[in-house]
Amino acid sequence: MTKEEKKVNLRELSLLILIEVLEQDSYSNVAIHNTLLKYQYLEKQDRAFLSRLTEGVIERVIEIDYIINQFSKVKTTKMKAPIRNILRMGVYQIMYMDQVPDRAACNEAVKLAQRKGFYNLKGFVNGVLRNISRKKDEILWPDKEKQPKEYLMVTYSFPEWILNLWLTEYSYEQIEEMLKAFLEQKQTTIRCNQTKVTVEELRQQLLEEKITVKEGDYLPFALKISDYNYLKKIKAFRQGLFQVQDESSMLVAYTSGVKNGDYVIDLCAAPGGKSTHIAELLNKTGIVSARDVSEDKVAFINENVARLELSNLKAEVYDATELRKEDIGKADIVLADLPCSGLGVIGKKTDIKYKTKKEDIEALAELQRRILSQAVQYVKPGGILMYSTCTINHIENIDNVNWLLEQYKEFELETLDSNMPDNLKSSTTKRGYLQLLPGKHKTDGFFFAKFRRK
Amino acid sequence: MALRNIRKIGDPVLTKQAKQVKEVNEKTKILIHDMLETMYKEYGVGLAAPQVGILKRIVVIDISSECDSPVVLINPVIVETSGEQTGAEGCLSVPGKSGIVTRPNYAKVKAFNEKMEEIEVEGEGLMARALCHEIDHLDGHLYVEKVEGDLIDNRELEEDGE
Repeated sequence: MTKEEKKVNLRELSLLILIEVLEQDSYSNVAIHNTLLKYQYLEKQDRAFLSRLTEGVIERVIEIDYIINQFSKVKTTKMKAPIRNILRMGVYQIMYMDQVPDRAACNEAVKLAQRKGFYNLKGFVNGVLRNISRKKDEILWPDKEKQPKEYLMVTYSFPEWILNLWLTEYSYEQIEEMLKAFLEQKQTTIRCNQTKVTVEELRQQLLEEKITVKEGDYLPFALKISDYNYLKKIKAFRQGLFQVQDESSMLVAYTSGVKNGDYVIDLCAAPGGKSTHIAELLNKTGIVSARDVSEDKVAFINENVARLELSNLKAEVYDATELRKEDIGKADIVLADLPCSGLGVIGKKTDIKYKTKKEDIEALAELQRRILSQAVQYVKPGGILMYSTCTINHIENIDNVNWLLEQYKEFELETLDSNMPDNLKSSTTKRGYLQLLPGKHKTDGFFFAKFRRK
Repeated sequence: MALRNIRKIGDPVLTKQAKQVKEVNEKTKILIHDMLETMYKEYGVGLAAPQVGILKRIVVIDISSECDSPVVLINPVIVETSGEQTGAEGCLSVPGKSGIVTRPNYAKVKAFNEKMEEIEVEGEGLMARALCHEIDHLDGHLYVEKVEGDLIDNRELEEDGE
């Protein structure tokens, strides 16, 4: 045998992922994860290069296409998919990767075009990229004053229709702050499993594994970790000492007012962040019935439950749009974290901004109302309903809160302030709901509301 | 002691089942020595006896960059594998080419050494890949049967764009 392992071409792998994500239907986090899993032996720095380049192109593709179209006679929409994406990779390296000399970015793109069978387009790829490299300081950007919306679209690589929607709901400055926050580097937020370990012990153990640990921004049991290679290789993770969860999502169980012995139903539980959190807070008492719509999703919950070792949580397949008669009026707390457009987590799942369609939002708001009308029936008198989504549009969030209050007169909003961190208290938390916005808050975009049945 | 001629893909000897080695005599020792010398000369990390035209179950491997850790395996048998790795692989019998092959990430092999003592060798990553690749040769298999996608011309990989 001869030794060939160095010849895996990282840019070629990246190109395959980009075509899957930008030209077909794959989700970026899934496609990147699968490739890294398959090429596990890659050195840490190669893995980092591959993720950075691929995620970077996806995150900035509107801006990148804008640049290409200023220098190429053939517009990106008219190019063949491999060439379009080879150019995008080249532009990203030229504009955003200081460690790659422009010359190398051009040469590698030309070689890749040739290897993909576009021998006759070598000159075109070379010409466009060299031109951009030479004139990158002369690119004409949209003017913020004269073309405010185009400025946001290009600078933050954001689709026009979402901006149109948000411009009716938020101020221009507020939107720009969110878009900026989406593009910033993210750390992983984790929730300490306090049934197994104290926050201080967990911090020590992570530090021993040479992982960088910081305090959470709002909650005492939240930590932020970075500088690790693979989550599943962290010993503390395998031992079930923590769960990955954004602080916004931790607030749901934390402010629900759960008490020992409660019966909790989580209608859309996968991967189990809130369910496992509330099970931890129940401290080995009570029962959490965690449900989701498919075997796969329930398997995902069970994986986390087994790792965190929570005996008071039972997961099962159940479709939340269907009424389950034996549960009517039984639950102390119902968690309804509902399917949504996900626009609040664009910072973590970059391609959501391209994949979500305008018509999806209407349909999702409708689906939420269908599930909510089952959810209300499970709440016992005096019990609690927690409604949450990871998005930031009125129609999916506050509009549905008002709809529920209108439809179900026996429900009223209940204040969140009894257990709300001081730096998050506001006039809306006093009433019973909170819209978290990236940039304004150090979390994902997230919404939740607390209702009590009279 | 001498370099041997490496048989290339298309040579029927590469498709045949090799025979068990019953004893290690002077001739066998010379063969093993020549196989190592040939492997090092050609910058290989492994060589199986059929590749030099001898249908005997003998394999030599050295994955070290210093070429100072040869492993000699007689009548090797894979007894355990686990995991998966996908990566480029090449072969001295298929010169100038490489291809993507998925192999176990770990392999454990039982075999005999040059003194016909029973030994056990295990390896991860490249070593596991080499063990599987060479033992395949003893049963008449080449990696090209397992390539995912196209066989790549190495010149293409190395060529500069200028």
